[in-house]
Amino acid sequence: MIHLLSLITFIPLVGALVVLCLPKDGRRPIEVVGLLATALPLVLSCWLYAAFDCSDAAGATMQFVERHAWIPSMNVQYYLGVDGLSGPLVILTALMSLIAMIASLGIKERFKEYVFWFLVLEVGMLGVFESLDFFLFYVFWELTLVPMYFLIGVWGGPQKEYAAIKFFLYTLTGSVFMLLAILALYFQADPHTFDMVALMKIHGSLSLKFQIIVFLGFYLGFAVKVPAFPFHTWLPLAHVEAPTAISVILAAVLLKMGVYGIMRVSYTMLPLGFEWFLPILVMIAVINIVYGALCAMAQTDMKKMVAYSSINHMGYCLLAIAGCSATGFSGSLLQMVNHGIITGALFLLVGVIYDRAHTRDITVFGGLATRVPVYAGFMSLACFASLGLPGLAGFVSEFLCFLGAFTRWKYHTAVAVVGILVTAAFFLRMIEKVFLGPLNNRWADLSDMNARELVSVVPLAILMVALGIWPKWALGMMNATMMHMAGLFK
Amino acid sequence: MIEHAFLIPLLPLAASFLILFGGPERKDSPLPYAGIAAIGLSLWISLRILFDAWSGALPLPYEADWSWFSFAAELRGRPFIFDMRAGVLIEGATAVMLAVVCLVSLLVQVYSLGYMHGDAKFKRYYAYLSFFTASMLGLVVSNNLLVTFACWELVGVSSYLLIGFWFEKTAPPYAAKKAFITTKLGDLGFFLALLTIFAYGGTFNIVRLRDAVAMGYLPELVLTLIGLGLLAGAMGKSAQWPLFIWLPDAMEGPTPVSALIHAATMVAAGIYLVARCYFIFAASQVAMDAVAWTGLITAFLAGTMALVPYDIKRVLAFSTVSQLGFMMCALGVGGYAAGLFHLTTHAFFKALLFLGAGSVIHAVHTNDMRQMGGLSKRMPVTFMTMTVGSLALAGIPPLAGFFSKDQILEKVFERSPFMFAVLALTACLTAFYTFRMVFLTFRGEERDTERFRHAEESGGVMTVPLVILAVLSVCSGWALEHAHAFARLVGSGPGLLPGAAGEAAHHIDPMVMATGVTGAAFLAIGLAYRLYCTPDLSAALAWKERLSLPFKVLEDRYGFDAFFLGLVDAADRLAGLCRWVDAEVVDRIFVDGWGLLCRIAAELSNLFDALFVDQAVDGCGYISRDVVGANLRWFSLRGRVQEYLLYLAVGVSLFSILR
Amino acid sequence: MTLAHYLFLGSALFIVGIFGALTRRNVIGILMSVELMFNAANINLAAFNRFLAPAGVTGQAVALFIMTVAAAEVVVGLALVLMIYRARDTVYAEDINILRG
Repeated sequence: MIHLLSLITFIPLVGALVVLCLPKDGRRPIEVVGLLATALPLVLSCWLYAAFDCSDAAGATMQFVERHAWIPSMNVQYYLGVDGLSGPLVILTALMSLIAMIASLGIKERFKEYVFWFLVLEVGMLGVFESLDFFLFYVFWELTLVPMYFLIGVWGGPQKEYAAIKFFLYTLTGSVFMLLAILALYFQADPHTFDMVALMKIHGSLSLKFQIIVFLGFYLGFAVKVPAFPFHTWLPLAHVEAPTAISVILAAVLLKMGVYGIMRVSYTMLPLGFEWFLPILVMIAVINIVYGALCAMAQTDMKKMVAYSSINHMGYCLLAIAGCSATGFSGSLLQMVNHGIITGALFLLVGVIYDRAHTRDITVFGGLATRVPVYAGFMSLACFASLGLPGLAGFVSEFLCFLGAFTRWKYHTAVAVVGILVTAAFFLRMIEKVFLGPLNNRWADLSDMNARELVSVVPLAILMVALGIWPKWALGMMNATMMHMAGLFK
Repeated sequence: MIEHAFLIPLLPLAASFLILFGGPERKDSPLPYAGIAAIGLSLWISLRILFDAWSGALPLPYEADWSWFSFAAELRGRPFIFDMRAGVLIEGATAVMLAVVCLVSLLVQVYSLGYMHGDAKFKRYYAYLSFFTASMLGLVVSNNLLVTFACWELVGVSSYLLIGFWFEKTAPPYAAKKAFITTKLGDLGFFLALLTIFAYGGTFNIVRLRDAVAMGYLPELVLTLIGLGLLAGAMGKSAQWPLFIWLPDAMEGPTPVSALIHAATMVAAGIYLVARCYFIFAASQVAMDAVAWTGLITAFLAGTMALVPYDIKRVLAFSTVSQLGFMMCALGVGGYAAGLFHLTTHAFFKALLFLGAGSVIHAVHTNDMRQMGGLSKRMPVTFMTMTVGSLALAGIPPLAGFFSKDQILEKVFERSPFMFAVLALTACLTAFYTFRMVFLTFRGEERDTERFRHAEESGGVMTVPLVILAVLSVCSGWALEHAHAFARLVGSGPGLLPGAAGEAAHHIDPMVMATGVTGAAFLAIGLAYRLYCTPDLSAALAWKERLSLPFKVLEDRYGFDAFFLGLVDAADRLAGLCRWVDAEVVDRIFVDGWGLLCRIAAELSNLFDALFVDQAVDGCGYISRDVVGANLRWFSLRGRVQEYLLYLAVGVSLFSILR
Repeated sequence: MTLAHYLFLGSALFIVGIFGALTRRNVIGILMSVELMFNAANINLAAFNRFLAPAGVTGQAVALFIMTVAAAEVVVGLALVLMIYRARDTVYAEDINILRG
């Protein structure tokens, strides 16, 4: 077996090092290396998708495993592997990285450093989803932080420093608690180990109290990333300040790390703590959904609105997880993938208008559909996908999320459903105010999307439709693992 | 032919994408004909199915489905792979509905060739129209409630696109949004009903669900809740009280669209859904009553509201709402066949009326009936066909509306004379406002000579559909009523409550009732003639003066619009509050406050460091240098080597002595 | 003659030397007194070697080293004194306090 996962993970790192060696002035070579270093992992992850074993029997096992001792004295391993939970997310990460890289080609200043940090970021993101050793996991987890800090802090908007530092401190605080939790598990295991697969099997020996404490530690780390109320306020700020491509990555991949962590770590390793926390989690999810949607409705900045809608959508994921059923897990995972695609597209599109109009204020536009029909079409498509229109990606996953939660939390789900209505309301209002009605003459010479923007948006649009009509493509990969996960503690 | 049933929705779907992406927008683009061809094919299949079913050659129900996707599901703690299958389920009602939808769609598309001729977005219009038809047909045939819901939403979005078709103006986008959000509000109920169905029934398949209900797997409370949820969905789509507010505004769309969507098909979807899930309602008296009362209230309120507007399309819109209320009420009292019968006939004559109104609007370029009048001289075909449609709507025998309305009233009377009284009154109102419209538009003197002179009869592509629909409005009632053909086809509704299906509580001689109601309708028409078939509107205006308060209430639509606007306002305010809380409380106090606390702690540490730790270090230096050192200076630092040596010697001696 | 005799001689010489070093004002005198103390130490070394470990010659060898080093030291010391005399025109120890703190 060739080292597929290692290749996927470290090709961007090689790319980053190559970029470092290139001269600063020659833009073209840097672009080529950047694109290659993000495209190759995508190609390889398509291979991963093709070679992935979707049979029921494979649900319980990790695939494409690579395992070597790394620091033997501490029992740390270099241990990579994917299953139906992490596989789709790896592919999503590779895809969104390429898309974001294409979108990044418009970056004007300090392009070389930008590409370097971007590639390092991709390494971290891929690694988080692939690593099966807590030590490695933590290293990758933190590895996403530093590039993000620079990418927001250097290439961001007017308040970039504040946003970057807030993002950094916030997530770092979370991950410190996570580190403590990891160490607690490490020392509880006998023999001491960071091996996640092994740690999944020791929950029988952990007392409820221990599990609750460790769960809370992990939860702090993950909740900040999700972001779950009340740890969400870094998100709108970071999104608004970050450059377009980074917003895309932030929404499409980084948020997923939190939910992934809850499913991979909290649920499987600490079932009692998880169970204990469920009533609180479902409340948080409902707040995320309704409150996030309402906050989004009150925004006039398009990017902020989309950011709050992310909070709302991640609420669906949390709600589904709180349902603690196979349906919920499938829904949550599918929702993660779909949200990545849809919200990624939304941020790209908001970036398109911002590049031209230098404002994102919904109220200053009007009637743009006559002026920029292609853009209006894509934006409406993405909005409709985001509000869960059938035939587009969001519908099935949203439905599965609610379905998964409903059996267990009837009243909470019934309240959360209001979020769908509010989401529809603010997206439609945005479409109406920006695209419909008489044309505001201030924008009479706005130009439609250019080739680079189309190249980055069209694949996402196609995926939105494809996954909406034929969700099998994504669900097939997940089903066996989700079955296995749901059956773990029955 | 039945095995091709799945093509019925797919053909228009393919056509819509072909039209949308098949070529550039041009005046003479041939693409719209692809839409017409597709819907023609669908109609052909539907009609074959309908006739086969009618003749008994085709045993119904027919079901066929295919795997769509599968997901890891869980019921009662048992995970399993759930296979979501999508397919077709054709029952009697489905066959009828398919034929009606296809037929009206085809006629509307042909009619639109004339009506929309020269519009800048002609091609896109046809794409939307085909897409709408596809979703509507999908809704009708689907055997899976989730797919039904999906199509239900797609119908909503195509309605959104079509209402807002002229988006360069201000009003259509607003109306489109209003329609979408209002129906979406109802859809939440549908959504929750679906969740409940799966949680208790473990399936979305209608046939299996019916079996599960028949076996009594679902408790009555659950069935009631599901029923109410479905009803909420139907309230939104079928514009029932109190969610009917969107339909009058939806008239901002092109008139053929109003005819297709907001008269014949989409608004019928709610009725169809209730009929399709009748087994659920039938199992719960509460749900049944809710349906009946919703229908009754809607029929009456909308019937009264139709009395006052001067916009020709609004009159028709309120009339549609009212008629949908009739159907809903019929379903609610157990008149399954009666409700569907009225659905069918209403589709024909209401589409006819809308298309006729479109023809008028096309000719005079206004919706305001006060600027029309006397048009029968200029537009004889439109006048004749619209009169036929109006007679049908007013329930005058032997036209279609008479038979279906008669059946409904009969059913309702069996259930409750009070409901009957209200509906009969509404029927009279119907006759009145319908002919108010006809007289205002076509009779009397021309009130706007400028418009009158330019008015011309529409061309063939527009009048031929009118004539076809007029023929159907005349014949369909009689033909379907004949030998109870319709009732045989759709059946009496599955699993009715014993009380509702069996012996009726009240009886009335059908002939007496029919004569009475028809007589009252004639009286209402006569009143309309007295008031509105006059050279000027003085009589009507005088009435308006005298009854200013009721008129005001009716023009305000009983304040429902204001109520929902208030709701939206409240939601906005809540959103503003959330935004404020998020920025000022959660972020500023909770998060930044935390940061501030850390900063304060840091400052305190800094202060402590400077005041105590550093001062302590400095203090040590001070003591050793300025206190100890300065005092030792006088004898140690004079630079006399021999003194040092002396100290050394003394010291060494002392040490050696004291050792 | 016993070891004590030699040690007595050595300590007497040392005391003379230290007295001289402490009391002489002339730097050259101090240097000479230091030389006396060196020699007191040499006597002790030779005596200890002779009486305690007669087989070896380590003590005598060290004494020889010390003499050599002392000679070198005196050379440097006298040179320093000469330089100081030239610069400051004095050889009295109490006047030479330029290294005072």
